[in-house]
Amino acid sequence: MTNIRYANMCHWKSIPYKKIENFRDFYYEDKTNSAYYSDWDSILKYQAALGFHGIEIAPWDMADILPLFGSPENFTAFARERGVEVIGMFHGAHASHAADHFDEAVKSGREAVDTIVRFGGTYMNTCPTQNHFGCGPLTREEVQQCAKVMNEIGRYATDHGVKLGLHNEFFCAINLPNHRELIESTDPRHVHYCIDTAQISIMGEDLLKFYDDYHERISTFHLKDTASAGQPDSVRYAQDPEITDDGTRWFWEPGLGTLDLKGLYHLLKKHGFKGWMGIEYDGSPDLLASMALTRYYLDNELRPIYD
Amino acid sequence: MSRMNAQSVAISLDLINRHYQEPNRNRFESKYFWEELYKLFPAAGFRSIEIPYEPVWQFGGRSGVPMNRYCINTKYGSAASYREFLAGCGVEQVTGVTFDPNLFMRNDNIHFYFGATGHFAGEALDHAVDLGADYLAISPSPFYGRITQYHPDLENEKEAFTDRTVDLLSGLASKAEERGIKLVLRNEYWSLFGAERLDPLLARLPASVLLDLDTANLFVAGISATDFLEAYSGRIGCVHLTDTSFKDTTGIWKTPNPEFPQDHATQVFRDPGTGSVDLVGFAQALDRHGYQGPVVSSARQTRDPFRALLRTRALLNQIVN
Repeated sequence: MTNIRYANMCHWKSIPYKKIENFRDFYYEDKTNSAYYSDWDSILKYQAALGFHGIEIAPWDMADILPLFGSPENFTAFARERGVEVIGMFHGAHASHAADHFDEAVKSGREAVDTIVRFGGTYMNTCPTQNHFGCGPLTREEVQQCAKVMNEIGRYATDHGVKLGLHNEFFCAINLPNHRELIESTDPRHVHYCIDTAQISIMGEDLLKFYDDYHERISTFHLKDTASAGQPDSVRYAQDPEITDDGTRWFWEPGLGTLDLKGLYHLLKKHGFKGWMGIEYDGSPDLLASMALTRYYLDNELRPIYD
Repeated sequence: MSRMNAQSVAISLDLINRHYQEPNRNRFESKYFWEELYKLFPAAGFRSIEIPYEPVWQFGGRSGVPMNRYCINTKYGSAASYREFLAGCGVEQVTGVTFDPNLFMRNDNIHFYFGATGHFAGEALDHAVDLGADYLAISPSPFYGRITQYHPDLENEKEAFTDRTVDLLSGLASKAEERGIKLVLRNEYWSLFGAERLDPLLARLPASVLLDLDTANLFVAGISATDFLEAYSGRIGCVHLTDTSFKDTTGIWKTPNPEFPQDHATQVFRDPGTGSVDLVGFAQALDRHGYQGPVVSSARQTRDPFRALLRTRALLNQIVN
């Protein structure tokens, strides 16, 4: 049994079919590769074949998955038959810094926990509030308000067998000046942390130092590379910076950026990390190619260090 | 040969597959992709476009997709600046804007659906006016099967749902008249008000509310586009030249995702000229009826937007002098 299991953070856009029984006919209609990206049967098989036996879904997937499968339980059973388990779901805790939004933020977080439980998942990686543009910089009180919401949702999550992991993004109102303040203001029994290796590096954290400092809080990872560590405030606090106008990519497959991921794996070994590692390919033009490249890098560069 | 003016046929931006997975889809969220695309439209003989109004891009920072007011204001400052940019690319007109409320049918709270749809349809109408469009074409309901996903008792609640739809559309029609733009109802095979189910709704709406004639949607529902044109002559607000080879004989229109028949996968909407709809014959029918309104070609669900552009032009070359 390995210490680390690998999952795929779901960045597939809508997948319209469960399983295409008439695959050859469907392909012949216009003879393009669209047929290969149109059903969950194929998508999950790609994951399983490449050794990604977990999937982290996202709330924006629900509008399609639920009508298609009828229930979270049905999706989970379908995935399991193909060797993939749902490990959790991402959650955005919109406006959790706003005191007058407390009840709504907690209600929404609890509902997300309930959804994850129905999928059989155990992780809820949570962005603590929205983008910096339009609501930042946050006051000290607003950061504390965020912490209060995270603690409240985290307690409910713990009670239901789910680990809430803070997940920060480089453009959020929780940003370099208050990132660690938020973590340290939350209850370590109920609020954990999901390191998105690229996001926190772009934000300006030193990946290795951050992991070393907070290794006891880390529940899971979103593993990806970047060639854009340490972006200035003018980029991080701009309006809608995640998708660039000119197609510049923030995120790359492991080994195609500049992060010291081998150094991270040495630290994982030092601290004996055990759990799921999610790989993520936001911005990739070809998710399947990214998944295969990542598998190669894992097997040849990272897993030999710590597995 | 038909007399339809090829230069006035618009192309819908729905040829870009924003919502479904395919390789290279990530491009569609960046501004550079669209700005290159605009320049390709005139190269393929299109000088006017139709824009689907999609509130979803307003949430989550994806403002590179130019399909709502927030995105346009974020990237261009104003609709006027955007129009100026389009003109510089050779796109002279935004012919129309479409609006589809499926995004808001996502839970069992019917008040949420009507509240959000009313709000964003109003925004779409204002945006259409700012873009100088001829019409706002609205889908009068979400997918029938999407409604029953969250409201399984729809058949018993249909009267109340229809009453609220009439209120919503009547309010929108008044606003459209005030602002000098046409309000057009889309006639989609999957709608609660699709095919022959449209008439009772239409009867309760002001005469200013016009109809969209969408050739593929009618074909799927087993209705002749030419017969529809004759039946609603004088009330057609816009025409969509769309193609398909799909006929719904098993009630796919009632399923939650009716553009993707689960019992037999198929590309419902084919690139214009590659399906089974007699678009050349239909263009002649438009001429015979003296139809002078907007005509839009749509390659919704295309597997390759650039090939679809040229396929559509190849079709139009057959039906235009």
